[in-house]
Parts: sequence; structure tokens; C-alpha cells
Amino acid sequence: MSSRSLARMIRRGAALAVVALLLLVVLFPVLWLVLMSVRTEAESFRMPPQLFFTPTAKNYLDLMQSKFFRAFENSVVTSTATTVLSLLLGVPAAYALGRAQLRPERLLSLWVLATRMAPPIAFGIPFFLIYIRLDLIDTRLGLVLIYLSFNLSLVIWMMRAFFEGLPASLEEAAYIDGAGVVGAFVRVTLPLSAPGLATTAIFCFLLSWNDFFYSLILTRSEAVTAPVAIVNFMDYERWEYGKITAAASLIMLPVVAFSLAVRKYLIRGLTAGAVKG
Amino acid sequence: MWCFLAPALLVLFLVTILPFVFLVATSFTPYDLTKPDSFRFAGSLNYVELVREDRFWNSVWVQARLSFWTVSLQLLIGLGLARLLHSRIRAVEWVRAGFIIPMVLPPVVVALMWRILFTPDISVLNWLLGLAGLPQPAWLTHPTLALWAIIIADVWEWFPFVLLMLLAAFQMMPEEPLEAAAIDGASRWQVFRHVELPLLKPVLVVAGLFRLIDSVKAFPLIFIMTAGGPGVATEATNYYAYLQGFSYTFIGFSSAITVVMLAATFVLSLALIRMAGRTADVE
Repeated sequence: MSSRSLARMIRRGAALAVVALLLLVVLFPVLWLVLMSVRTEAESFRMPPQLFFTPTAKNYLDLMQSKFFRAFENSVVTSTATTVLSLLLGVPAAYALGRAQLRPERLLSLWVLATRMAPPIAFGIPFFLIYIRLDLIDTRLGLVLIYLSFNLSLVIWMMRAFFEGLPASLEEAAYIDGAGVVGAFVRVTLPLSAPGLATTAIFCFLLSWNDFFYSLILTRSEAVTAPVAIVNFMDYERWEYGKITAAASLIMLPVVAFSLAVRKYLIRGLTAGAVKG
Repeated sequence: MWCFLAPALLVLFLVTILPFVFLVATSFTPYDLTKPDSFRFAGSLNYVELVREDRFWNSVWVQARLSFWTVSLQLLIGLGLARLLHSRIRAVEWVRAGFIIPMVLPPVVVALMWRILFTPDISVLNWLLGLAGLPQPAWLTHPTLALWAIIIADVWEWFPFVLLMLLAAFQMMPEEPLEAAAIDGASRWQVFRHVELPLLKPVLVVAGLFRLIDSVKAFPLIFIMTAGGPGVATEATNYYAYLQGFSYTFIGFSSAITVVMLAATFVLSLALIRMAGRTADVE
């Protein structure tokens, strides 16, 4: 091995070591939270902290027996339902905008941005007042509907970009074979845009899953979602650290897994409306 | 094609435009949840009261400091890390993915995690400070440190956003000016300062504007870490609007605060569209 390539290897190794160390520092709070979730409470309070300890599943078992289980279920159901509904409504609309020479570029961009940028309380107040009248407070349906306010325009924006990337000639071939607009869309365009659909679906799911504010003001007990249910473990006199950290670890699990899967599209989704994908 | 578009437009109208109109209408009423008959037009009453209220201006000042420090620090850290992580080494690319984690975590988890780190007795952070011979403050009940605790948590949560945008910009950077600078014998710092930084500037502005607009939404952090306290030390405008509406039931007044926030957001968004349009032209 020549000394030059050896020097290069050392330089690479050093760069990697620095980056890995930095990452460890940045992710330390996350790791600590997860570690706390498998410690007993007494162990969590012990300073200096013990790096080597016998992990316990007690916090998680306690959690299963509490109301948190129901809240977790609410989170799964509302996030899934709003994702499906947003795709059903938004994907055909995105297709129409992308293909039919309808280009209300600025209007759409402004609409997407407005719903993306507005502080949640701007939608929270009117929905709250309307839900009182319609008896939709503390229902899963109520949450699903308000999640549409940010998901639907996001779906339209993201899917339109995907559709524009597909050549129209494939559909034209289908038309020649006698397919109608709907037929060509369902049988030709949709299968080809599966990666885009998956990415967009994950985005909708994550945005709804991470919601805290809407669930806080629009639910009480029946439809409360997991992020808000954790707050119930924060008693004034005593925090239930074991349950809090176990619940927090549980709700961040799907998020971390999913986001790493769509990390290439994260910026496109988060800057929807302003920056073209 | 209209049958593809119509359902989505109808629902969008129902869930975005209609609530917006309703919000603005409510802001002109003295509506109080405990007084059902108070939903009546009262002109600009709420807005006049708002301008006169010290607590409102306090919340604006808290928000201004929160926004200023979080956005500046995120831009700085994002830029530094992007420069460091912009590398063609395969393994570094893999490690890089780990840095996006803070940004995608549920905000409530971020808030809980930092609340624990800033609570004396259970705080490993304070223990480390003690090891280094530094004071171990009760962050969240301290009049000035409480806001800094929230700033630190927010910076941690959102620097990856700036980082990701800048990494993308680094990757799209043209090769020629960099090569020309190398031939001219420019130092690493000179290349960064005079070649890379000017090329990154439009992206920095867009990322900064995005973060500025979103910095109003630090709600879960404030709700869980300090609840606006001690006193009103961390009561940012968004949280103040929530308190007025949902703790004190003054929905009309709360709507007026929200409309003011929306107006500010709208102006910033227009600036953003301008700048983003220009960025696209540059590319």
C-alpha cells in the first residue's frame, strides 16, 4: 500500500470518527430518553447515572394496563384514516392539475403555503366552535376532518410534481387502445406513481401522528391521541417518569422508521408550496 | 377532468377557507364560551383592547427573542454542519441520515425529553455541568434561563431542516468556480467565504424565512416545558392566544390575536415566495 493511499484512508477514518462522535452528541437526548424507559424510577434519579444496569420492562407493562393503549389506538386509526381520505381526494385532483393544462400555479402555491404556515390555532378556534355545535368534540371523525386541512393541499402539491415527471405518452397509448380517462389513470398512471404515492402517504401519516395541538383542544378522553395522553402522566405532585419515557419511546418509534425511509423527500414535503420538488 | 378536481376543491373550501372566514368573524365579537349569547358583532373592540394590553406586547417581545435566537443559531449550526458533512465518503453519507432524527420526532417527545434534561435532580445535563465545575441552575423556573431552555430545545429540534436544505444546495453547486479558486491557490476558508457562501445565500434566506415563520409554532415546547412561566417569561404570542381562548374562554379575543399572527405569517410567506422564486431562477 502506498503511503498516499494510507494517508487518505487515515483522513477518511478521522472524518468519519468526528462525524460519528458529533452524531452521538446530537442524539444523546433521544438515547437517554429510551434508556430511562427501561430503568426503574429510582435508577433514573441516581447520580452519577449508571451506564450498566439491568433493564426492566416494567414501565412498558404498566403502560399496557393504563388508558394509554386506547390513545395509541386512536392515533393509529385517525392518522391512517386521514391519510387514506387525503389520498382519495387529493390524488385525482393533483392528476387533473398536472395533465389538463390547468395551471393555477400561484394560487395553488399560495393555498398550500397558507395551510402549511398558519399557526394551528388559526384552524383550531373555528373548528372548535363548529364541533361544539355538531357534537364532534372528542370524536375520531373530528380529528380526521381537521387533519385534512393540512394534508389535502400537501397531497395535491406533492403528487402533482410526481405526475408531471411521468410522460403523458403512456396514457395516450392507453387512449388509443380504447381506455377512458379514468381507466388510463387507474391502470397506467397510478401503478407508475407508486413510489410517489408511498412517499406522500408516509408524509400525511407522520404529520397527523405528530399532531399535538388539535388533539389537545378537540379531544377530552374518548378520542384523545397518544401525544396528548402522555400529558396525563405529568401529575403536578409527581411525574411518572417511567410511563412518560416509555410512552414517548413508543410514539417515536414509527416516526423514526418511516422518516428514514423517505429522507430523500423530506425537504420537498416540508417546503411544499414554496420550493419546487 | 372536473370530476377529478371538484371533490378535493369542495373539501378544501370546507376545511380551510370556511374556517378562516369564521375565525375573522369571531375576532370581531366579544365571544366568551361561558356566555353563549355573546356571539355578536362588536367592531374592532378586541383589536383596540389588544393594542392596549401589556401582556400582549410582552408576548410579542418573547416571540421576537425566541425567533431571533432560534433562527440565527439554526442557520449557523446548519451551515457549519453542512460544510462538515458535505463529503463524498460513503460511510459519512450514512451517518448523515442520523442527523435528521430530531426534526421528525413528535414535538411532544422533544418537549418531554428536554423538560427532563432541564429538571434538577433527574437531569443528567446538570450532573455533567456539575462535573465541569459549572453551576447547575433550575432552568425552567429561572426568569431568563427558562426562555433559553426553550431556545436550546427548539434549535436542537430544527437545525436539521437548515442542514438538509444546505446539503442539497452544496450538491447542486457548480464545479467550475470551485476549481478556478483551487487553481488560483485559494485557502479552504477563502473558498468557503468568497465562493461557496455567496452561492448558498439564496438558500440560506429561504431556509431562514421558513424557520422564522415556523418559529411561531413552538407551542408544544412551551406548553410542556414551562407553561409560559415563570410568570409570563416564556409566554410567546401563540401560547398567549391559546391561554386566552382555551384557559380563560375568551374565544373572541383569542381570535383577534390569531388574526394578527396570521397577518404577520402572510407577509412573511409572500416574501418567501418571492425569494424561493428567485432561488429557482438561480438554479
